[in-house]
Amino acid sequence: MSSYAVTIATIIVIQAIAVCGLNVIVGYAGQISLGHAAFFGIGAYSAAVLTTKLGLSFWTALPLVIGISALIGLLLGLPSLRVREDFLAITTIGINFIVEAVFRYVPFFGGALGIGGIPRIMFFDIRLKGIPFLLLCVGFLILVLLICWWLTRSWASLACYAIRDEEAAASTMGISPVRFKLLAFVIGTAMAGLGGSLYAHYMQFISAGDFSFPVSVGFLSMLVLGGMGTLWGPVVGTLILGILPELFRPLVDYRIFFYTLLLLLMIRFQPGGLLGEESMARRIIVPLLRGFKK
Amino acid sequence: MRLFMEQLLNGVAMGSIYALVTLGLALVYGIMRILHVAHAAVYTIGAYVGLLIFNITGSLLIAFPGAMIVCAVIGVMIERFVYFPLLKYPPFVPLIASIAILLCVEEVCRLIAGPYILTFPARLPFPDVSLGGISISSTLLAVYVIAALVLLILWYITTRTELGLAMRAASQDMEISGTMGINSHFIVSITFVIGSAIAAVAGILVGIYYNQVYPTMGTVPAYKTLALIVVGGLGSVPGAVIASLLLGIAETLLIGYANIPLPRDALAFIAMIGVLMWRSEGLLGSSR
Amino acid sequence: MIQPLLTAKGVSKYFGGLRAVDGVSFDVFPGEILGILGPNGAGKTVLFNLISGIYEPTSGEIWFRSERIDSIPPHLIAQKGIGRTFQIVKPFASLTVLQNVLVARGITRYNHLSKVWGPWGSKGEIRKAMEVLEKVGLLDLAERKAGLLPLGNLRRLEIARALVVGHTILLLDESFSGLRHDEISRLEDLIRSIKKDGLTVILIEHNMRVSMGLCDRIIVLDHGQKIAEGPPLEIQQDKRVIEAYLGGKGIAYAS
Repeated sequence: MSSYAVTIATIIVIQAIAVCGLNVIVGYAGQISLGHAAFFGIGAYSAAVLTTKLGLSFWTALPLVIGISALIGLLLGLPSLRVREDFLAITTIGINFIVEAVFRYVPFFGGALGIGGIPRIMFFDIRLKGIPFLLLCVGFLILVLLICWWLTRSWASLACYAIRDEEAAASTMGISPVRFKLLAFVIGTAMAGLGGSLYAHYMQFISAGDFSFPVSVGFLSMLVLGGMGTLWGPVVGTLILGILPELFRPLVDYRIFFYTLLLLLMIRFQPGGLLGEESMARRIIVPLLRGFKK
Repeated sequence: MRLFMEQLLNGVAMGSIYALVTLGLALVYGIMRILHVAHAAVYTIGAYVGLLIFNITGSLLIAFPGAMIVCAVIGVMIERFVYFPLLKYPPFVPLIASIAILLCVEEVCRLIAGPYILTFPARLPFPDVSLGGISISSTLLAVYVIAALVLLILWYITTRTELGLAMRAASQDMEISGTMGINSHFIVSITFVIGSAIAAVAGILVGIYYNQVYPTMGTVPAYKTLALIVVGGLGSVPGAVIASLLLGIAETLLIGYANIPLPRDALAFIAMIGVLMWRSEGLLGSSR
Repeated sequence: MIQPLLTAKGVSKYFGGLRAVDGVSFDVFPGEILGILGPNGAGKTVLFNLISGIYEPTSGEIWFRSERIDSIPPHLIAQKGIGRTFQIVKPFASLTVLQNVLVARGITRYNHLSKVWGPWGSKGEIRKAMEVLEKVGLLDLAERKAGLLPLGNLRRLEIARALVVGHTILLLDESFSGLRHDEISRLEDLIRSIKKDGLTVILIEHNMRVSMGLCDRIIVLDHGQKIAEGPPLEIQQDKRVIEAYLGGKGIAYAS
């Protein structure tokens, strides 16, 4: 595998981890988060600070990073989810702007220059980069997918689905909407934090602009494209939107236009995404697969 | 003292412009419960079209109505072809579509008109005025007068005409039952027409006020106005106006006068979170 | 004197200038079937929303046993064994019929963070959910996506879910509308057997024959106010009730 391909693949896998988290919030619980990049950034900056300023290793810092991301998710989610659901979209956008501003202006986080010199991850005595690092990321992605899979079989997700479909009815069955929305939110932000940490160690240098609002929109696009609420949707979406720029490379100037147009068409005609229930992809491929079996 | 007054006047002008942009958003939300982020796209198109017509005809008298018509049409098209078919899905689906529209429109503007900042060297037909030693430029005066005029017309329509009554009834319908009556689709479209036309006016005013028209001029207003309708109370048009004025004044005074080193655009969101913590329905919103 | 199970004291709900419910008071006694009747727009569903916690009263009190429940959020009211159906059905459309009932079965777990991580698909849970489905006659549709069901089946699904939650009081909001003849009598039998099991039922119903036949007592609302209360025979002859129905929109008399 060429080193260029490894680079692309690594970024895709790291983003997929973050988007899995977004899927829990948006796909399972039906809440909108347009500030997911903020939590990706919180994970990245926590990892950066803990490893550069406190000298912790990636592994020691990891539980702290996930804990911090989850905790801030809890603190920020609590007021947001307490109010009407339409507020959530706006408050998450606000969270993104404010968190980015904090990273940019507070000197502790390196200001506009960000934090550099983030060490590579050590696995026993091996410094991980290239393919071994990619494999580590894939390992984490598999872990995250397993957690998501287990979630879908738990009472927690049943409650989330109920809230997503009919919040009022769900509440009359003993489900506290705020509690479960918050639960989904915290799980989602923790996963984003994990992704952010891997991102920090991969790039070895991060700055506030890496976690701005367009990044959140990007994550959401990947989720929508792949299929909100499905298990593999985040992976499919991240894969396609990760490879697409390589295909569109000749049309460099029109790239963003095609992305946004694609997103618009996708959400307008196939809101369930490529893996969604009503999607064209399913309707074409599933009968084909059945044909093969016979 | 004089500096304070001048900054205050700037702040009111700023707030008036915010109010004009936020109005459309508040109207649409009240009637459809959709966060019409793409409203900023309409506003940007208004600025570009207004500039284009002005460059061709040299007359603002043609540019304003021309842009208003174009924007009204675009607004209704967005409503009919994108939002209406998506109503049966959870609310974030039309929201994502709206964001996609905004980003796409920005790109189209960039591809057609270039990424450069274009100038809008028009002169609004108002005099420069001097009040007690404080100078008010023609642009500033124009902003006040036009904004006040728009608000007045809107107030008249919503409180004194049958159409306005129907609009308010449809909005209350949404409030109580969460559903729209079937025959209020016309009302919804009219709301978009009105809101989009006002956005066009705002776009042209901003273009002239700052002498800048550029593709991403809608981005910051898009998200700021979202914060503003939250602060004002979702669904409350007067609340949105008041919140806009307050924000305009606060931004200008805090940063222009008191020189507090806050990132200017974050102020709206900080204010929003502050208001929400205090009163979870916003300033003038209605509770459960 | 039997203590009432549920009491409403001067309950009002105003929406701006609209008085949806205006100073309504009544008691509900354990084991009875209470009917709430009234022309369209009388405030019946709003009253249910007030009892189940979806709305908070503008004024007045609602008591359940010896506890005030008017400021308690809906999910906690449900925990007390008060179950309800909705007039505009609210199925969890993306879930199957079986899953819809399972959601209700989880009520014992949702309040404890440690209990929500277990699997919902255990044999025991599925069996219990199937039992409820059998009771309402939806067993063979268990694997069907709820969003695809016709109205009659959706009403039964509403009741199935409410049955799981409501082990003290069942609030049924127009559960008979949209049902065929045979479905109606089946539902009547079901409600009578529920009453035999010791449950209390409050019924909003337009179908006069059903309400007269099922209910022990009836309350009639008009324009948000209680205009009559008593056993079916009295209500049928009450002048004010007749005027309220004839003066406004009529109600359907099922043959």
